[in-house]
Amino acid sequence: MYDYGWLLDPKRCIDCKACEAACKQWNKVETGVNLRYRQVRLQESGTFPQIRVQALSMACNHCEDADCVQVCPVKAISRRADGIVVVDTSRCIGCQMCGKSCPYAAPQYHTVTGKMQKCTMCFDRVDKGLEPACATVCPTGALQWGKWEEIESKGSPAIEGFTPGQNKPHVRFVTSGWGIR
Amino acid sequence: MTMTRRNWLSLTSRAGAGILTAGTAGSAWGQIFRPADVAPPVVQTLATACALCDSACGVTATVQDGVLTFLEGLAGDTQGGGGRLCGKGAAGAAFLYDPNRLKYPMKRTNPNKGLDEDPGWVRITWQEALDTIAERFRSYIDQYGPESLLFVSRPNPDVFTRLLNALGAINRVDHIDECYTADKVIQKYTTGSKSFCNDFENSRYMLLFGWDLVAKSKLVFTRGVQQARDNGAKVVCFNPVYSATARWADEWYPIRPGADLAVALAMIQVILAENLYNLEFVDNYTNFSLYEKETRAHFQSYTLEWAQELSDVPAGDIRRIAREFSSQGPAIAPAHKKTLCANYTNGTQLCHAISILNIFAGTIDRPGGRYFPRSWEIPGVDAIYKPAAYPAKKGRRIDGRDKLPFADEAGNGNFSTLADGMLNQYPGMIKAAFINFYTILGFPRPLRIAEALNTVEFTVVMDVLPTDTAQLADIVLPHITYLEANDIVTREYSAIVPQVLPRRAVVPAMFEAKSIGYVSLELGKRLAPDYFRKPNGDFINPTELLDEKAKAAGLGANFAEFRDKGLLTREEAFVPRTTFAAPGGKCQIYVPQFAARNLDPLPVWKQKREIPTPEYPFYYLTYIPAVHRRNTTQNNPILHEMMPENAAILNPLAAARLGIKEGQPVQVRSRVGSIVLNAHLSETLRPDCVLVAHGFGHQSAALKLASGRGARDGDIIPDQTADDMVREGNFGASAGIMDAVVTVEPG
Repeated sequence: MYDYGWLLDPKRCIDCKACEAACKQWNKVETGVNLRYRQVRLQESGTFPQIRVQALSMACNHCEDADCVQVCPVKAISRRADGIVVVDTSRCIGCQMCGKSCPYAAPQYHTVTGKMQKCTMCFDRVDKGLEPACATVCPTGALQWGKWEEIESKGSPAIEGFTPGQNKPHVRFVTSGWGIR
Repeated sequence: MTMTRRNWLSLTSRAGAGILTAGTAGSAWGQIFRPADVAPPVVQTLATACALCDSACGVTATVQDGVLTFLEGLAGDTQGGGGRLCGKGAAGAAFLYDPNRLKYPMKRTNPNKGLDEDPGWVRITWQEALDTIAERFRSYIDQYGPESLLFVSRPNPDVFTRLLNALGAINRVDHIDECYTADKVIQKYTTGSKSFCNDFENSRYMLLFGWDLVAKSKLVFTRGVQQARDNGAKVVCFNPVYSATARWADEWYPIRPGADLAVALAMIQVILAENLYNLEFVDNYTNFSLYEKETRAHFQSYTLEWAQELSDVPAGDIRRIAREFSSQGPAIAPAHKKTLCANYTNGTQLCHAISILNIFAGTIDRPGGRYFPRSWEIPGVDAIYKPAAYPAKKGRRIDGRDKLPFADEAGNGNFSTLADGMLNQYPGMIKAAFINFYTILGFPRPLRIAEALNTVEFTVVMDVLPTDTAQLADIVLPHITYLEANDIVTREYSAIVPQVLPRRAVVPAMFEAKSIGYVSLELGKRLAPDYFRKPNGDFINPTELLDEKAKAAGLGANFAEFRDKGLLTREEAFVPRTTFAAPGGKCQIYVPQFAARNLDPLPVWKQKREIPTPEYPFYYLTYIPAVHRRNTTQNNPILHEMMPENAAILNPLAAARLGIKEGQPVQVRSRVGSIVLNAHLSETLRPDCVLVAHGFGHQSAALKLASGRGARDGDIIPDQTADDMVREGNFGASAGIMDAVVTVEPG
């Protein structure tokens, strides 16, 4: 059994949002209720014409010491043996403690069902030997997924706009190579 | 229920052809909520071709119990999406299942037409719809001739073109003047054929004049640019906006809009003065030696300092880039859709200058350059069932295209001059319009097109969705989506080797939706039956026609056989051309055919039509965002959520000067109109520009998500007349959709 994680290479991200679309489609995440398990975030810095834009496709980082798991009063959130952090919506009481505790605002509140939802790392796909939907479609390799022991050494734990907390998020960032301004 | 061999077989036959993997894929949902005593889901994975844009990336569709549940890239699709998809493609199922789709043919009962009028739709049968359309078309042709029919549609499929040919219909227009008519005209006379194919993979130096297809997530090109960068190639980008394409460049120059031409001319001047061109290519494969003296003299005045003044690109950089472009290995300067060729009225000249740069680099149809597609030949309907001679096309071109002989020859119609033709040049000439998969939003000044359509007695609109244009129709016909269509798709945009893939109906056509091919054949039977018969006298059958094509192209015994094979590639060595299809068999730098018509045989500097004034101090730029396909996807729930509306993007310096804050409504006004939308401040663009995404501001109430969201960017883009084009030397018919200047004020 492996742990898994994300590798983001922002220089490759063209903001096409294939990851977001595939996530919505595979997981049948309802549209129009402000639920986006994964979202490409653009961050501008500098002033024209010395401008830098960083594009990151962010979702739940499936932290090793996930705050959400710890704060949930009804133990609806758990970390599977393979490290994927999942919400059992049948137990969720919608108190939103997890969303408030998460440094990355990954758990999101469904205003209609009154439950919290978040990225599942497509565990149903992972269980069948497939990649999560988002990484499967990403056309440039800006978003990659894999075994944590391999991902961990491939990038930096921090990047502009993302400082990892004590919760050991399973995400790494490629901060070198062409296109870096 | 346990899985027995008998069950397995019955499931297989239910699923039909395709790879069947019962219960091994598909969303967890279907399995969680399935009662225990129900058979496991039948899951098919089917290979098909996307059609959200024209790139036709290979797709693997997961269909569970007859429902499309997931789309991903097709493994092995080396010349399409590379086994991946963009956001639009990945959201395709939401287009198929859009609850607002047109479901059956309908006719209008409210005689008053307008965007705010309820058409009073009444459902009719296909039989009634087709009979009515045929009857009306027949009566107009008989009374007023075929020039009285207007078709707003791409020319495909081939049976649609046959219908137009059989009727002698002269008036078909499409949006290509907004895309690449200018480049098509230039390529025909400089290299021999329009070329969208860019061998970025093997290029060492990429010079992008406004070419922005990475930002549009055109994976057919994105793949190559990225690979070249990984291999250490250099990218130089001229773009007023720091787009996703610019982010991939080593050097980005926020060029003054419309001045790309000045930079390109100055680069040609440097290359000539320093003799940097590829001698082997230029000597052997171009007409340079015949016109060397004129050519050298012509470019002398385009100095670096002159170009800097116009473009804001430093003279020293222009010189250095010209030298690098000529010396660092295979170099390419692409020019294609949504480059400046369409966007500024000096686009024809720019396309010519860019073509010369590629010729000087010696990379036309060479590794690392612009090449001609090695396409898999698929015979059309006219090759399968040879028609009798078509009647001569007579009559007046409603868009005035015939005033521009080279654009006329290119065969596309003009969106930008259509309203003028219908309202001013030949009012009342068009009696009936047939509009296929286009909305008024695609035109400059959409309301003027709506006004023009209201002068037409009978309008038919065929589309997937109830667009604004559909609201103006007398009859609407529901079109299938690409996920319900069968076709043979060849690689055209990235085709180093011939490649062909099947497009297949991954689910049966929903509701009563049909294809434009079906409508063409049915109208053909009614209006020109002799052209729609096979040699044995029976009418052409679309299924059989597809089978015949598959067979004739060597794809299989019939379409089904090809469909089950999936993507086919003919491995052939890339043999660079030594003769070119331009007149004389060589690439032409100086184009004598242009001179013969008193047009510039070499590219000359022309300012774009409109430049900022105290009254209109901003350049108005539009763009197509990565997550939408022109104006066709704003109602897709997934894509809508990502980007529900557009904004007026302004540099914070400009906004501060105007007292405009982030998110505040602003009015953007040109000489032809104004729009109101929210401001978005960004350091990514020049302070003298305002940038607005195209495709928003749908008005049709039947588009429940898109209706009323954002602003119609075209409302402030001037349309033009064919005479404007002639007068301005715009002989490649650029639509000039970025040739507006505007003022911005708090709304």
